[in-house]
Amino acid sequence: MPSDAIRAALVKRLRISSGITDDDVKEIEALPIVVRQFPAETPVVRDGERATDCCLIADGFCVRSKTIASGKRQILSIHIPGEIPDLMSLFLHVMDHELSTLTPSTLGFISHETLQKLHRRSPGIAEMFWRDTLIDAAMFREWIVNVGQRPAPARLAHVMVELRERLKLIGRAEGNSFDMPLTQEQIGEALGITAVHANRVIRQLRQEGIVELQRGRVTVLDERKLLELADFDGRYLHQSPML
Amino acid sequence: MPRFHFDVHENGRVIPDENGQDLANESEARKEAVMTGASIARDAFVAGSAQRVVIDVSEDGAPFLKVSITLEVEKA
Repeated sequence: MPSDAIRAALVKRLRISSGITDDDVKEIEALPIVVRQFPAETPVVRDGERATDCCLIADGFCVRSKTIASGKRQILSIHIPGEIPDLMSLFLHVMDHELSTLTPSTLGFISHETLQKLHRRSPGIAEMFWRDTLIDAAMFREWIVNVGQRPAPARLAHVMVELRERLKLIGRAEGNSFDMPLTQEQIGEALGITAVHANRVIRQLRQEGIVELQRGRVTVLDERKLLELADFDGRYLHQSPML
Repeated sequence: MPRFHFDVHENGRVIPDENGQDLANESEARKEAVMTGASIARDAFVAGSAQRVVIDVSEDGAPFLKVSITLEVEKA
């Protein structure tokens, strides 16, 4: 992957959501990034590990998760190209959860030292990354509300609509379909239900003519019904510098 | 590890488990069936789409157990 392609989704996202300046784009384009390929379903940074870099997703899908003593895993968030899901490791030195890939992924590693220097040199970028981690926290709040309060079909609908809105920002959701490469088991882990219940929810959404999920791809069958079920208000994504 | 399938019956409609899951033992499969039944019942009972949820579990193709959960509401 050419080096500007590694940063393309990040720059695209920051232009829309944070109104990044051209000078700051140049700084990001000059950042030294070590690119590594990861296979699907592989840990990138483990719970308890001391991270020395932050990881920019150039291509692929990742999740953050936490596993409890019984071995059950809760997926906490889904991440797409252009995101730096472990940006907080710059200040929180030991990981309190795991970052792992869902699909084969191209990841760009930026050393903490490089980022610290960049922040001191260009406070605009520091503020932008600060804003990014605050949006990350806003998404976690929404995730808690979703898993804690909505019935399972609405939970899945909400996660789907949110993912689509984020994919749209980087130009990866056009027409009525988009990627959501989670297995039934992983959907269960995200929504806090068993794999069999997840299967039932996926079937229900298809039978009701709302949405179809097949081989990791979502096709929207009825936009109005989907939005109604998802109860989605995208303000918490703050996808504009004005929000 | 034995392979378990969990078919879901809601008010007589059946959702077959096409994938199945490898679980360590029968006790794990029982737990999975109870969790699945309770979690589906919560959705179905609240939505009013069913009053009875049955999880029919098979182990390597042979019947293993059934978990039934029924909603009963008695008005005073």
